[in-house]
Amino acid sequence: MKKVLSVILITVMLAALTGCGNASSQSGKKTYTFATWAAGTELQEFQQIIDKVNEEANGEYTIEVLSIPSDYYVKISTKIAAKKSPDFFWLTQELISKYADMGALADITAQFEASSVLKPDMFYEGVLASAQYNGSYWGLPWIANPMMVYYNKTMFTDMGIPCPEATDDWTWAEFIDVCRQFSGKEYRGNTVYGTVIDGWPNIETFIWAGGGDIIGEDGTTIVLDSEEAKNGLGYLQTIVAEGLSPRYAEVSSLGDNNVWFEKQRVAMYFGGMQDNFEIKVAAMSEDEQFEIGYAPLPVCDGGGQWSFDWTASTVMAKSLEGDETAYKALEAVTQAFFEWKIAPPVKDSVENVVNINPTKENALETIAYTMEYARSAYYIPEWSDINDKLWYNLYVQLLSDSNFDYKAEMDTIAAYARELINQRK
Amino acid sequence: MKKREKAGFFFILPWLIGLIVFTAFPMIAAVYISMTDWDIVGNAAFIGINNYKMLFSSEEFIRSLWVTVRYAVIAVPLIIATSLTMAVLVSKNRKGSGVFRVIYYMPAIVSGVAVAIVFKWILDPSYGLLNGVLSFFGIQGPDWLYDPDWVLPSYLIMAVWGAGGSLLTYLAALKDIPEDLYGAAMIDGANVFQRVKYITVPLMTPIIFYNLVLGIIGAFRKFTDAYVLGGAGKEGNFYMVYLYEEAFGHYRMGYATALAWVLFVIILLLTFIVNWTKKYWVYSE
Repeated sequence: MKKVLSVILITVMLAALTGCGNASSQSGKKTYTFATWAAGTELQEFQQIIDKVNEEANGEYTIEVLSIPSDYYVKISTKIAAKKSPDFFWLTQELISKYADMGALADITAQFEASSVLKPDMFYEGVLASAQYNGSYWGLPWIANPMMVYYNKTMFTDMGIPCPEATDDWTWAEFIDVCRQFSGKEYRGNTVYGTVIDGWPNIETFIWAGGGDIIGEDGTTIVLDSEEAKNGLGYLQTIVAEGLSPRYAEVSSLGDNNVWFEKQRVAMYFGGMQDNFEIKVAAMSEDEQFEIGYAPLPVCDGGGQWSFDWTASTVMAKSLEGDETAYKALEAVTQAFFEWKIAPPVKDSVENVVNINPTKENALETIAYTMEYARSAYYIPEWSDINDKLWYNLYVQLLSDSNFDYKAEMDTIAAYARELINQRK
Repeated sequence: MKKREKAGFFFILPWLIGLIVFTAFPMIAAVYISMTDWDIVGNAAFIGINNYKMLFSSEEFIRSLWVTVRYAVIAVPLIIATSLTMAVLVSKNRKGSGVFRVIYYMPAIVSGVAVAIVFKWILDPSYGLLNGVLSFFGIQGPDWLYDPDWVLPSYLIMAVWGAGGSLLTYLAALKDIPEDLYGAAMIDGANVFQRVKYITVPLMTPIIFYNLVLGIIGAFRKFTDAYVLGGAGKEGNFYMVYLYEEAFGHYRMGYATALAWVLFVIILLLTFIVNWTKKYWVYSE
């Protein structure tokens, strides 16, 4: 009996070990899995796109959808750990370098540069940079959502304040001046503010405002403690100190920060292109409706004009590196996505925005203008650690107390970031 | 082995396989993983006890442990006192006591995320229920989760609100106390406080002990509401939140597993200590 028991136990242990070591995708395979965070209606739309791509592939390959609507990255990373990585999956920009560094992604540089279907110069430069790390391409961006300024045109008009223009080259100092004209005034029975800031827009936006940055383009130089970066955060300090935004602790009282704009409690809101204020306002009762205006982000000190862009890329599993059929499928599906969401990350497609989302017609001029200088930060594998410090030790502290010595903290975080990079394996 | 024993063995085989595959094997694997530098995706590199060395020199580890210990030290006795008091109050079959039993126990069956969302509103500095009540009495309420000094009190309020979770066990224990003892005490002239002090509490000590052990484990494993709500100045960064962030936010699986083992040892030690004190204060027949 002891022998029987031993055999059973060993079999179970081996089965467990074998189960953990099986690779799901191998080169040459014609059926690919595509992991998505899409759920509900979005998932149905996604499935329709995949069905169409499969149909057009004429049996050369088939893509199967794997929906992961919750804990997406936890599940993706555990699947990769179990050697069962999806063949294709979406990856947000700040994780590209991390996953590439961990060896989870296929380097698609050679195929991308040689392709006649989707070429690097077809993409907006700043958007495409989000899929690059260490001089290689690790995915194809399929969506861009850069930031622009939504403003309440009705409020501006009613209060006799001149509106910014659709392609305004206003500066951050001018933006703050406009905020001052609103803040503390009464409008529709409420005290209003110039804008709302509660961690959004992100800290990059303010650091760029002074002409600075966090990490240099080379991915190894830390420039967070530069004078430009500190000057940029000075704009945020001014907004907090002068009460041009509701108090940090007050913002969540209405729900998310965008509600302040929808309820006409702030005049201007830093929103992504995808924000659907147009639909929300149209659904309001007539006396609550207002006209929405659009303006680009203010010009940074030194003349640069950057709009923080959130981009997701479709990446391929490392096991598919060099697989021509898989890359063909990646291109086909990426092209199909360009017709799905705004804004397509490729040039000469701005007109398409209105076809995809007709409610954005009035924003088209600002969208076209903004796409030209949309970009993300320069992300490196150590970003999550650096970002933690930026959020907890810097941004939240400054939002909570305008007297906080943010310059000293920027020096501390910069030193910490340099040490992390020095320790890089 | 006899035929009967063989049959018994095969009956428990599914459980045994589950224990080996889903408990024993992961635990053994976790010991190894805690000694590796593993970012989930790549191969794990064996680094000996380096993760443990790093851990004890990490400010974040110390901070999250301090946040958790501080919470546990106050919350565990507070919850025991509250739920025991509630149990004593609703144990008598008076009119309406059934309704109160349901009300007190209800938090135990509500999901942690839902509780966190409700408390986000209750503790809202501007329009929250709590500050609304305080302002009715002319008191300016604090910023609660937005003020580092008030994050711990915020979580303690949530803990007290959920104290009814152990109500059932206390009620069951109360029912086991013979009524004769109270009758004899009343004849001897004991007032209500004396009866509670000399009869109820001593006879309840076994169940208090049980809830104390579970309370300590629960406090050190606090995650859901802390993960959803957070807290200013990282005061809501409980140990388990830190562990989760290290594993799935920073992809340091080896380090996070070392954190899990340290937590296991802490809980084990505390349980041993509490168990050792049992002979001094827990009533046994």
